[in-house]
Amino acid sequence: MGTDEVATADQAGTDTADRPGWIDLPLVTLAVLSGIVTLLAALLQVSYGPFELTFWEAWETVFDPELLSNPAVWEAFLLGADLPDLPPRTIVVWNIRMPRVAVGLLVGANLGVAGTIFQAVTRNDLASPQTLGVNAGAGLAVLLTLVVYTELTHLLPVVAALGGTVAFLLVYAIAWNGGTSPVRLILAGIIVATVFNSLQTALFFVADDLGVVQTALAWTTGSLTGVDWEEFRIILPMSLLGIPLAVAGARHLNVLVLGEGTAKSLGMNVERMRFGLSAVAIVTASSAIAVAGIVGFVGLIVPHLVRTIVGDDYRRVILGSIFVGPALLAVADVGSRLGAEMFLYMVGVAGLTTAGLFSLVSIAMYAVDSDRLDARYRRLVAGAGGVGLLAFAYLTLTGGPSVSDTQVPVGIVTGLIGGPYFLYLMRRRTQLGDL
Amino acid sequence: MATHDTDGTGPDSERTATEASARDSALSATDLAVSYPSSDGPVVTVDRIDIPEGEITALVGPNGSGKSTIIKALADQLAPDRGEILLEGERLGSYGDKELARELGHLSQENDAPASISVEDLVFHGRYPYRGFFGAVDADDRDAVERAIDLAGVDHLREENVGNLSGGQKQLAFIAMVLAQETDVLLLDEPTTYLDLHHQLRVMETVQRLNDERDVTVAVVLHDIAQAARFADYLVALDDGEVYDWGPPADVVTEALLRDVFDVEAAVNYTPEPEITPKRSL
Repeated sequence: MGTDEVATADQAGTDTADRPGWIDLPLVTLAVLSGIVTLLAALLQVSYGPFELTFWEAWETVFDPELLSNPAVWEAFLLGADLPDLPPRTIVVWNIRMPRVAVGLLVGANLGVAGTIFQAVTRNDLASPQTLGVNAGAGLAVLLTLVVYTELTHLLPVVAALGGTVAFLLVYAIAWNGGTSPVRLILAGIIVATVFNSLQTALFFVADDLGVVQTALAWTTGSLTGVDWEEFRIILPMSLLGIPLAVAGARHLNVLVLGEGTAKSLGMNVERMRFGLSAVAIVTASSAIAVAGIVGFVGLIVPHLVRTIVGDDYRRVILGSIFVGPALLAVADVGSRLGAEMFLYMVGVAGLTTAGLFSLVSIAMYAVDSDRLDARYRRLVAGAGGVGLLAFAYLTLTGGPSVSDTQVPVGIVTGLIGGPYFLYLMRRRTQLGDL
Repeated sequence: MATHDTDGTGPDSERTATEASARDSALSATDLAVSYPSSDGPVVTVDRIDIPEGEITALVGPNGSGKSTIIKALADQLAPDRGEILLEGERLGSYGDKELARELGHLSQENDAPASISVEDLVFHGRYPYRGFFGAVDADDRDAVERAIDLAGVDHLREENVGNLSGGQKQLAFIAMVLAQETDVLLLDEPTTYLDLHHQLRVMETVQRLNDERDVTVAVVLHDIAQAARFADYLVALDDGEVYDWGPPADVVTEALLRDVFDVEAAVNYTPEPEITPKRSL
């Protein structure tokens, strides 16, 4: 084929070499922005706690070249070997605070990708691991393990993933009628989720130990408290499997959203492709649930956030989700671990960074082609800037952010972000939720 | 077969079987019965239907006569209850999914694409059957997309988002997508319905060019019998799920057809093409 030299020149994606147009300025900006926000949130996380560091100390420790180039350390983190002797600051940063950040990033990426795939496969803006029963199945499995089958407790992550998979298969089976349809899948998801959630609630009444109830609550609301490199070792392989498959499958999602008839006319085996891509979403979502419990709303709002910036091409939406998911979770986890004021501080930083970067992009786009300046970007800059300024104004009035001593599960924070954002989306986009 | 026809399919149905042998047909169906899951019994029962190789065949008939159903069955979108459909002499089921999409293009009546996809990206989807799961776009794909965009006359819309197009422009963009499949047979389901006159003609002229220049076999469902008579080489007139008549427009379009099938009293003048002047509904 005549494209070999072009293909080797750029191996980043299947089509990059041929259609350089699809990795565009908004997508790159979004990735850069997410990277910056994620990094800032991570450094904030690493700095605060009982052993306090300055921002630069945190930076130095995180990017310590000696540590980063030490294979023994990586062996300890990634393979579970014994940790070599390290100074206390490094231990605190790398062995206590970094695993939480690292797991959070993968949870965010996995949930974002899973939500994006589910929304494309069902051609439904409201689809997510939540609406398709995956969360309910995983939650029920966790509760059953904690309350009834206590001997399986050490296998909790595996059980959670299995529960999610079984629930989705059940949803698929209920929806199946010589083929499935987006609406049937969503309705079946509601049926399964309703039954499973009732069973979950019932199990809470059976539990006699308050500690068990606490653990179960943490699982069903989604929490990163106490995660270790061990959890990272659980989610990493699943992410390395699922995310590249999702990127490769993005082109097929684009064809699938043209509708089943058109996809079939174009030679796609619709049921097989839909099932296969759903399986990828199950793998990524379940692995996130396995380490962090049910962190709600991330899978639902990440795809929407990404779409408002990069448009409907799933090659871009998937890539964007891989960046935005971690950023959202990193910010939410600041709120979860360091409290409301630090969360507002992080929101302020993220908002102003977003406004700044996208103003630059808008100016650049306007300079290239004045037609391309989209009202969306104006709204984005105004909205993000406004939220950022409000957050800072509040913090200035109340005398600067302070770290809270109480932690809340990260799922509560994502719910508090996700609910209002979704409300905003519903008001803005009248066609949202059309089946 | 038509010779065993007992329920009076139409005056000329015997010709259907005799004139067009399976060899000349790009696509043919025999003893076909098609139903929907929600319908009681078959919606369409056809003894034989032929889409002759290298010609434009128009399927005409009133609402509910089964035009779209037949097209769906021929496009393998709807599994028939019984009957055999042959594409280039091979059973439809013997083709693989992508293999079929390289031989047979199909554009359904309603098409929808995400609003912020560009026309060019949409047309590239037409190359789907030529690519593997991880397959990249190659020079052949790009050439085919260029030809399709050119043939459908949507070059000026290439960068435009599908969501910003008018109904007619959108239809042409979808036609370009199907053209990028570079199939020998093309099935179009009411491609001109709901379009303004300009775009109706643009669509039909594209179809005609495709047939002239690339010898593509076309079967097209048309709402407007006058339009069908003007553009098609053959007409298949359907009535209540059965073939009423089949043949060149001058033979098929008669005052009797308009009366029996369309319930319309009309005058037909042959100049030599049939021209229809509708008078009143019956």
